[in-house]
Amino acid sequence: MRYNEKELQALSRQPAEMAAELGMRGPKKGSVLKRRLVKLVVNFLFYFRTDEAEPVGALLLERCRVIREEPGAFSISFIEDPERKYHFECSSEEQCQEWMEALRRASYEFMRRSLIFYRNEIRKVTGKDPLEQFGISEEARFQLSGLQA
Amino acid sequence: MKLNERSVAHYALSDSPADHTGFLRTWGGPGTPSTPSGTGRRCWFVLKGNLLFSFESREGRAPLSLVVLEGCTVELAEAPVPEEFAFAICFDAPGVRPHLLAAEGPAAQEAWVKALSRASFGYMRLVVRELESQLQDARQSLALQCRSSWKSVAGRCKPQAPNHRSVGLENGHSLSKDSSPVGLVEEGGSRSSGRGLAEWELQGPASLLLGRGQSPVSPETSCFSTLHDWYGQEIMELRQCWQQRAQRNQPKCEEQDKP
Repeated sequence: MRYNEKELQALSRQPAEMAAELGMRGPKKGSVLKRRLVKLVVNFLFYFRTDEAEPVGALLLERCRVIREEPGAFSISFIEDPERKYHFECSSEEQCQEWMEALRRASYEFMRRSLIFYRNEIRKVTGKDPLEQFGISEEARFQLSGLQA
Repeated sequence: MKLNERSVAHYALSDSPADHTGFLRTWGGPGTPSTPSGTGRRCWFVLKGNLLFSFESREGRAPLSLVVLEGCTVELAEAPVPEEFAFAICFDAPGVRPHLLAAEGPAAQEAWVKALSRASFGYMRLVVRELESQLQDARQSLALQCRSSWKSVAGRCKPQAPNHRSVGLENGHSLSKDSSPVGLVEEGGSRSSGRGLAEWELQGPASLLLGRGQSPVSPETSCFSTLHDWYGQEIMELRQCWQQRAQRNQPKCEEQDKP
């Protein structure tokens, strides 16, 4: 699959939702824990060597699972291969909790569901479609039917 | 730069909703000449969220390319002659060439430009936040109306939060099934503990507005959805008490069991 690395590099320089130095271990057997600067930007998680400006890699966070591992540690895996885990070690339980919550919310699909939920709730309470004022009520991405796809 | 390509491709092919699809002619992408020429290549494009994928055909089993739609604008373009209905995805970042694309007609061109312009994560986030605050306002005014008849409302309220059902525990999908939009939530009656309920719910849409350190337990909280959850918990506990009392005084108090 072709993609433009420069696009991703530029994205990795955007303001991050969260950024911290964490211990990170890749999914391959025998991977070693390494210190990485981990940066959450929109629905991507970038990871950098601590002294480098360009990321080593990126993880698209759609359809990922964020699971607690040992205390202070969590893993990210993906729905098509849940045993293939990216491990992260935090410096405190609090930091771990913070990251897990942020990562669970960091997907476009999560936002889509939230939006549809709110739209529906507002319709129930007020009887009106809140998206009409923006002229986007017919957009495909906001339709309830999208959830049944 | 490494990318979790297998997962990305899986997402592209998954049954998660596509925001726009259609055939487009494309000239862009690495490995192609820097000045677009010729009629381009006709591919099947799928827009999901802020990701634009192309496939060789509608039945393509692997995406050919990915464009991440962040930090870009979409503009009508002058296509290489004789191509019409062209538009370009232009990036702010230096050194990133615009992606030139052409639709098959004016309606398709307009639809694509609109869809791509609204594809960014930031745009979606803005709309969600706006709706979140609108819902909060709507519920607050409703709550004010209900406050006077609190006892009767409490009697009728079900100790569950069906609204949060639509937000799965997992990141955008439920544990049970790939295609199910419903998160892993049992109905109120089978919930094991009130504590677990509050914790889980805070991970739902309510958490977007919940500030750090804001206690959900205080009735002074300004976020109505957490206030709603707090009262819901109290109702659940009350209901348990009523049920226990009803079991002890069975013949007299059966009607108290009715929600």
